[in-house]
Amino acid sequence: MRPDLLPVALANYVGLASVIFFIGVAGVVVRRNPLIMLMSIELMWNAANLLFLAFARAWLNNAGHIFAFLVITVAAAEAAIGLAIVVVVFRSRANVDVDEVALMKG
Amino acid sequence: MGIDGAYPLLFVIWLVPLAGAIVNWAFGPQLKRSATIIGSAAIGIPFVATLMAWNAATQSSGAAVGAHQNLFSWMPGFDFGLLLDPLSLIWALIITGVGFLIHAYSVGYMWSDSAIARFFAYMNFFVFAMLTLVLSDNFVGLLVGWGLVGLASYFLIGFWFFKPVAVAAARKAFVINVVGDVAIMFAIFMMFAKIGSITFANVFAHVGALDGWLFWTCLFLFIGAAAKSAQIPLHTWLPDAMEGPTPVSALIHAATMVTAGVYLVARCWPLWNASHSAQLLVGTIGGLTALAGALLGIAQWDIKRILAYSTMSQIGYMIMGVGVGAYQAGVAHFFTHAFFKACLFLGAGIVIHELADEQDIRRMGGMRSRAPVAFFAMFAAVLAISGFPGFAGFFSKDQVVFGALEHGHPWLYAVGIVTAGITAYYMFRLFFVTFFGTYRGDVDPEHEPARGESHAPAWIMALPVAILGIFSVIAGYAMIGSNPPWSRLFAHTFPSENLPPVAIGEGWTTAILFVVMAAGIAIAYARYATPVALANAPARLRLESERMPAVLVRLFYFDDVIDWLFVKPSLALGRFFGSWFDPDFIDGAVRGLVTLSTELAAVVRYFQNGLLRSYALIVVFGAACFAIYYALQGTVR
Repeated sequence: MRPDLLPVALANYVGLASVIFFIGVAGVVVRRNPLIMLMSIELMWNAANLLFLAFARAWLNNAGHIFAFLVITVAAAEAAIGLAIVVVVFRSRANVDVDEVALMKG
Repeated sequence: MGIDGAYPLLFVIWLVPLAGAIVNWAFGPQLKRSATIIGSAAIGIPFVATLMAWNAATQSSGAAVGAHQNLFSWMPGFDFGLLLDPLSLIWALIITGVGFLIHAYSVGYMWSDSAIARFFAYMNFFVFAMLTLVLSDNFVGLLVGWGLVGLASYFLIGFWFFKPVAVAAARKAFVINVVGDVAIMFAIFMMFAKIGSITFANVFAHVGALDGWLFWTCLFLFIGAAAKSAQIPLHTWLPDAMEGPTPVSALIHAATMVTAGVYLVARCWPLWNASHSAQLLVGTIGGLTALAGALLGIAQWDIKRILAYSTMSQIGYMIMGVGVGAYQAGVAHFFTHAFFKACLFLGAGIVIHELADEQDIRRMGGMRSRAPVAFFAMFAAVLAISGFPGFAGFFSKDQVVFGALEHGHPWLYAVGIVTAGITAYYMFRLFFVTFFGTYRGDVDPEHEPARGESHAPAWIMALPVAILGIFSVIAGYAMIGSNPPWSRLFAHTFPSENLPPVAIGEGWTTAILFVVMAAGIAIAYARYATPVALANAPARLRLESERMPAVLVRLFYFDDVIDWLFVKPSLALGRFFGSWFDPDFIDGAVRGLVTLSTELAAVVRYFQNGLLRSYALIVVFGAACFAIYYALQGTVR
């Protein structure tokens, strides 16, 4: 490892990413507004991206950079679909509380 | 074979009736009564063709006799073909000849029936099936014909399908016949397993190969013969079969189909000759059937049922003849019986027609003046069936009864003589009660039958009866003399034997039979035809029917025993399966499976609550589990 390439210690990156990830998890589990939930999912994606980049820099392996692009693409697609669903649900029920949208209850 | 491989005339004999059946079936509604012409011609043409084939069928070269036509070979051992030898020739002549007369008679009998084309289609189909049976040169072809005649019989017994009793009779006949069909199938299995061929020639040339299975093969063949020929204990369908139209009873249940068992035993004589116990079995069953049929004939009042039991009894004679080894005699009795029994049935049909479908002889009487043709023809036929000297039955019955003694069965000889006396009694009982005295019914002599306004000319029913009456007299003359034409015909078909002389000669047998028969006629005369008896006929007949022994009225309890042995257990089994096994066990298993999955689902459904956030929590929980697992693994390593 070449320490001069990382101005901050690797552990800090991992810690920050973990904090961001668990904020996202808490957002998904706790909030009932689908927009907030989508944003929380974005947070989790970005925590993962941060780790990809940090390890790519730390270990000089460019695969991490490439995966980050892949994650951004997938995240964009997911956001598009998620927002579309939210719009459709809102149109049909004028209410977007995810606890109310429970048609698939067994 | 005389003519081996190709004799195309056999196709004409075999297939023309089928063509008639198909045409009548397909175009019945358009043909209406013209179906009678096609239907009769489809039987007349094969009759002429059979006569033309006489020389080919009787010529012999070496050991084998007859004309043979190959059809096709299905696989090794399964060669199909048609064979016309003296045995099948006699049957084919009766089937087409008597069959033609009965078809002509049916034109008059069925004239006012709206389904006359269907009737002729069935009749033609029957003749085709029966010809398949007797013309086949192999057991499988025979079995096909065997099954098809049963089917035709089913169609025709249930011809008036709006009568529930006719439908029940048809079903009963079919079921009992199928028992026989299956038995024959087993016999074929055994023969094929041991010999590897189904043709008569091959099987009979290798009878020795059957060794231990010989008796069982004979037994299964005979179960088939007994079911078809109404032998004890499989006879109960025949009296019920009288629900069909009278020409059907004459053709199928008297002259031809019911004698198929006689044909089978006579055809398979090499098997029977090789197994003494099989001969004993068949002869005994035949004798018992002859006696039982005659006894039951005494107790009946329905004219067709009396004739049905007499048919059963006479076939018993034939089976006894071919069973003990007197093959020529048994076949001879078939030959004469076909004429006089068809004559009796058709004559009875004229009487029934005259009286607007009345069949109870207690409500007949004095028919001599109202149906003179039937009277004279039936007189000849009654004398023939009783075995009166000079009439057809005399010659053949003599041969059968004497044959039983000759082949070493004195008991069957005694049974045959006793039965001859009873036969004379109950046939003359029918004759006297029906034709003598005064009319006891209530049908106006000038009546117009209500069933239809138009009539076929009367001669069309009278002529066949008269012809059959004439043959009831002359048919036996083929069997007279020391080397009669009948024996010459079968000289190369059946084995010639030198039997030891027996205690009672043929002349004495004839004398004994004549005395017994005369006694039977005398008793019948004393009971039914003396002036006193005729004057008090209604009261006397009522008294007789009241005093009839229960054992005869209940037909020796055969129906009850069969009911108790087979029908009741089947019904009980059906009820068991219907009320417990199916709903509780089979359905129960399915329902249990449903309940189980419902219960399981009731537990699992709590996980699918539709709440997005709880799903997310589950995913988080799962992810956490993975994380903890790998973390722990990392520390261990």
